[in-house]
Amino acid sequence: MRFVLRLLFAAAGLAVSALSARPAAAESVKLVKPEQYRSRVVAAKKGRVVLVNFWATWCEPCREEMPALAAAAKGFPSKDVAVTLVSTDSIKKTADVQRFLAAAKIPFVCWQAKSADPQRFIEAVDKSWNGAVPYTLVYDRKGELSARLLGPQTERSFAEAVRKALAAGP
Amino acid sequence: MKTFPALASFASFLAVLSGAPLGARAADLKIADLKIGDKAPDFTLPQVSDGKAVALKDLLAKNKAVAVVFVATKCPVSNAYNTRMAALGKEYGAKGVELVGINSNKTEPAAEVKEHAGKHGFTFPILKDEGNKIADAYGASHTPEVFVLDPKGNLIYHGRIDESQDDARNVRSPDLRNALDAVLAGKPVPTAQTKAFGCSIQRV
Repeated sequence: MRFVLRLLFAAAGLAVSALSARPAAAESVKLVKPEQYRSRVVAAKKGRVVLVNFWATWCEPCREEMPALAAAAKGFPSKDVAVTLVSTDSIKKTADVQRFLAAAKIPFVCWQAKSADPQRFIEAVDKSWNGAVPYTLVYDRKGELSARLLGPQTERSFAEAVRKALAAGP
Repeated sequence: MKTFPALASFASFLAVLSGAPLGARAADLKIADLKIGDKAPDFTLPQVSDGKAVALKDLLAKNKAVAVVFVATKCPVSNAYNTRMAALGKEYGAKGVELVGINSNKTEPAAEVKEHAGKHGFTFPILKDEGNKIADAYGASHTPEVFVLDPKGNLIYHGRIDESQDDARNVRSPDLRNALDAVLAGKPVPTAQTKAFGCSIQRV
């Protein structure tokens, strides 16, 4: 009987993990405060190269570069590289963010910046950033900043930045 | 001047050592990084209303300050500030501060910028910066982005109009107003550098 229960629990566990492995487009967008950016968005993926793409639904070049980012990400195993989005949309627009990601089938986890004054968020992310999106940061496996990509990128420039961060070592 | 390849590569090596920015923009080398107190580059650009040339030095000579605002027609963030910009232009124009808009987006031709300015009641000049040369000279990265210059052309404020991206009624930090009021009162600008989210300028 205990064995059967264990089996049931294991099956339930598998079902849950299968769910969580579904593309992020099906997940809810989570809010991140300035003081949480480092721990939740970057450090949580420690051991992997982390690419963080800052974007907004109102930003046309951001929307346009999203497929290039998805294509670049396919070239790297997820055990080595994590791609995460951070939306800079107003927190009143969470539904729009969600809708766009689902419709465009964007397979990444997406956070949304939560800060009454955007400057606090911008400064917490990167002091040399002045808030223009799209903006992409790539961190190496140790969580050190490896590249800043200003403005819209291509599949190739995303991939190059990730390769450079991977080359920084384990 | 003759270029020595070895010297050039040594120079780029030094640039890396000195902590040059990480990554990745072809135009990095030509885009300025204007600091508070720096002399802002002069410009003469055609205004979209009638094509007439407008020179910064003429605006500086006639005003107590000039607020150069990089604007866009299609950027929703810049557009969220249209009413605020029109009001600021009128209010501060009457006090001796010239607001001047610059559109540097390659995707927004002068005719479109003219129509947009008319539609939103901009009474201040809007200039077209073909080839984003002035955006590069100022190091402007997004819209809306403001550079306030004193009559000598020195940068005394750089950043946002205010912190409220999508709601003009909910402004808690009217940074551009604060800067302009300080200039008019002959006081130092309280916060000279601010940041906000905005649309990247679409460069050539």
